[in-house]
Amino acid sequence: MRNLSAILAVLPALALAACSSDPAPEPVEQIIVREPGAPPVQQAAAEEPAVSGENDEAAPIAAGKSAFAICSGCHVVDADASSTAGPNLHASVGSPAGAREDFAYSEALKSSGITWTEAELDAYIADPAGKVPGTTMVAGAVQDAEQRKAIITYLTSLSAT
Amino acid sequence: MGKWSRRAFIGAGVVAGSALVVGVAVRPGNPNDELKPLLADAEGEELINAWVKVGADNVVTAIVPHVEMGQGALTALGQMLADEMDADWAGVQVVEAPAIDQYVSDSIGREFIAPNLQVPEFFEPTVAGGFLELAQAMSLQITGGSYSVRGTGQRAMRTAGAAAREMLIAAAASEWNVPEGEITTANSMVSHAKSGKSEPYAKFAAAAAEQSLPAKPKLKSPDKYTLMGKPIARTDIPAKVDGTADFGIDAKVPGMKYAAVKAAPVVGAQVESMDATAAKSMPGVLQILNMGDFVAVVADGYWQAQQALNTIGTKYSKTEGDKLDQAALFTRYDEYLDEAGADGGDTETEEGDAADAFANAATKVEAEYKVPFLAHATMEPMNCTAWVRDGKCDVWSGHQSPLGARKAAAKAAGLDFEDVTYHNAYLGGGFGRRSENDNIEMAVRIAKATQYPVKMIWSREEDTMQDHYRPSATSRFQGGLDKDGKAVAWSNIHTHLFDPQEAPTVPYYNIANHKIRKVDVPTHLRFGPWRSVDHSQHGFFIESFVDEMAVAAGKDGYAFRRELLKDSKRHLAILDKAAEMSGWGNTLPEGHGRGIAFVPSFGSVIAQVAEVDMTGAKPKVKKVYVAADAGFVVNPDGFTAQMESAIVYGLTATLYGEISLKDGAVQQSNFHDYQMLRINEMPEVVVEIINGDHKRLGGGGEPGLPPIAPAVTNAIFAATGKRVRELPLSKTSFA
Repeated sequence: MRNLSAILAVLPALALAACSSDPAPEPVEQIIVREPGAPPVQQAAAEEPAVSGENDEAAPIAAGKSAFAICSGCHVVDADASSTAGPNLHASVGSPAGAREDFAYSEALKSSGITWTEAELDAYIADPAGKVPGTTMVAGAVQDAEQRKAIITYLTSLSAT
Repeated sequence: MGKWSRRAFIGAGVVAGSALVVGVAVRPGNPNDELKPLLADAEGEELINAWVKVGADNVVTAIVPHVEMGQGALTALGQMLADEMDADWAGVQVVEAPAIDQYVSDSIGREFIAPNLQVPEFFEPTVAGGFLELAQAMSLQITGGSYSVRGTGQRAMRTAGAAAREMLIAAAASEWNVPEGEITTANSMVSHAKSGKSEPYAKFAAAAAEQSLPAKPKLKSPDKYTLMGKPIARTDIPAKVDGTADFGIDAKVPGMKYAAVKAAPVVGAQVESMDATAAKSMPGVLQILNMGDFVAVVADGYWQAQQALNTIGTKYSKTEGDKLDQAALFTRYDEYLDEAGADGGDTETEEGDAADAFANAATKVEAEYKVPFLAHATMEPMNCTAWVRDGKCDVWSGHQSPLGARKAAAKAAGLDFEDVTYHNAYLGGGFGRRSENDNIEMAVRIAKATQYPVKMIWSREEDTMQDHYRPSATSRFQGGLDKDGKAVAWSNIHTHLFDPQEAPTVPYYNIANHKIRKVDVPTHLRFGPWRSVDHSQHGFFIESFVDEMAVAAGKDGYAFRRELLKDSKRHLAILDKAAEMSGWGNTLPEGHGRGIAFVPSFGSVIAQVAEVDMTGAKPKVKKVYVAADAGFVVNPDGFTAQMESAIVYGLTATLYGEISLKDGAVQQSNFHDYQMLRINEMPEVVVEIINGDHKRLGGGGEPGLPPIAPAVTNAIFAATGKRVRELPLSKTSFA
């Protein structure tokens, strides 16, 4: 049996898994802040400027802000913030491509002639390198159309203020 | 999602798997009917036996029973099967078997359970079947133990390839109405010279699958090998270079959310209370979970989850472990060793009378060595994606034992095994860490609570602090030399013994009297197999002490070992080769030293010579010469890479590796305090291979590691006269 004990030493967890059928412990405490896709209601109330009496509009904006989380690694949106790894996207909707002074855009994007309409943005976010070959935006493509829509709604709200 | 689809795993390279073919292929009853729907559902594809598939396009697929964690064994396994099958390598693809019972490795069970079982060669292929049930029962479906090529490959893949070839020949002979003996095979074609007929394998694949399974397929002798022994490029290279390779952490599931976790810093403690006030209002946060033994935050993004987790205040229950510091643990080791005294503890091996021989020895040598806990520090941190819903569970990760992971997931989900589908991907480093199931269980528990798919990713800190560690250990030796400086007594007592059982033993050294004992010392930290497992510490202990005995005998370390190995030609050949490669005996620059170490492990025999420059503030390892005998090396390029990477991993531990405890918790947390070897610290490595026994193969993944630490410390002694008895070297001042 010496070698049998060797197996158990190498694979203690497997051995246990094979010997017991008790399910693993359930949560002691489970705080559900919100369901996936639902807007972060409290945050929206506190932070969004155009909330009062306009809940119909606020919800999609809040959802968009949430969806924008994956973009926030490279892009900031505060009006007076400097661009980071990607350009600041405040007031980007409706502006021409490559408009910010504080970001070194690729030649490809600067010379693209694109004006960031919602449709153009949608195509670009879906596949940046496909839409503008040579762009330095090599990450962050959003494949989910609903998510893109939410993100653009959010960006549009920032451009309107 | 629910039902595992063969097309999905082959097409996407997302695979899951484990072992066996021969057991299935040569036992009564052809299992193809059962396996075929899982593995050959494409038009025109035929499963010839459980490990071989031939497509209508004449592409031969080798279904291999192990996972890819950077070691490259899949390519070698494919070479073994394709060589015996006479397949055209350009038309061979290698895929991992799915995580289903039929692919459990029987032969791995055999290697662990009855490694020395001798059977007549005639029974060789069928004996495997006898171990199938036992192996299945124990989930022995792992990639580890440096086992893939020497065990599964040698015993199973080759037999499967040879059997497939014989079945194709039988089918062609029947169709063409010619004797089987007149048919030849090459490049995935069957040919009959007399009639001038020649057809691709695909033409006979369906008929071959109907043939009875050969009782004992004839394997090639080494002079007939066409693929084995060739440095064929690894099949996983292109995807890893162009970035399309999917690792466990790359799992993508629609609607998937992310979890960050923090477990109790002292293993065994429970979460008593958690303050999630700030976390609740942080961006992206969906759920905050107190799971008892850990806290989890689920959010839209991983970063959001981790940021929120960082704000959670947690109180943990008190445990016995809280009081333990590393120094106190080593003191505890000493107490147990002292208590065992001259004759206590568990005797592992004994020959002659070591106590008497030591008492009467002309020269006595004594030494004590220490090594710390070590973390695995895989490049890809622990992670797992799980989705539990409607009585089903899907799990995505990279695991060394997919079937074990599937069982662990079923248990954690409270579901039947059949209701769990496990999807394995490439492992971004395994080293033994990914044979544990803690990450699988945690992700399933979280996903069971959320009911939507969740990808759990551990932070580097969590990965470092919640590992299953190579144990810290202390080992004491007494050695005796006669008046001629010949070793006559070897006595050792050390803490712990996990695996392999022979790690502390030295049967290859011709010392008449030896006794080896161990004491088990309780600690609350979790043990885990770490590349080369117990050989990682015992290689250092043994080869340091042999060097100390050589010095006491007034002999050179190489000459002293030569005397001890003189009755074993194979061992001696490797020792001599390493010495020859290094120019042993030639003068080195002032302040430089050369050290030799010899450690057979996992069926392979390895000697290393390290050259170390001690003129600077800390040791600089300049060159390492490796002489290796793994029986027969199937892929010399892959094997050499394993020797090199074992030196990277082992040298990291030698120079820096240390996990220590304070108040019961691990003190290190990330690469700033758990350093890796840097590229400017990497020595030049020269590897030479001797194929010493093509019938009994040795492993490649682990055996290159154990000799490096003692080769380096022996070199430091040669350069400076300073004997290092504790690792890592960063604890010792060389000023």
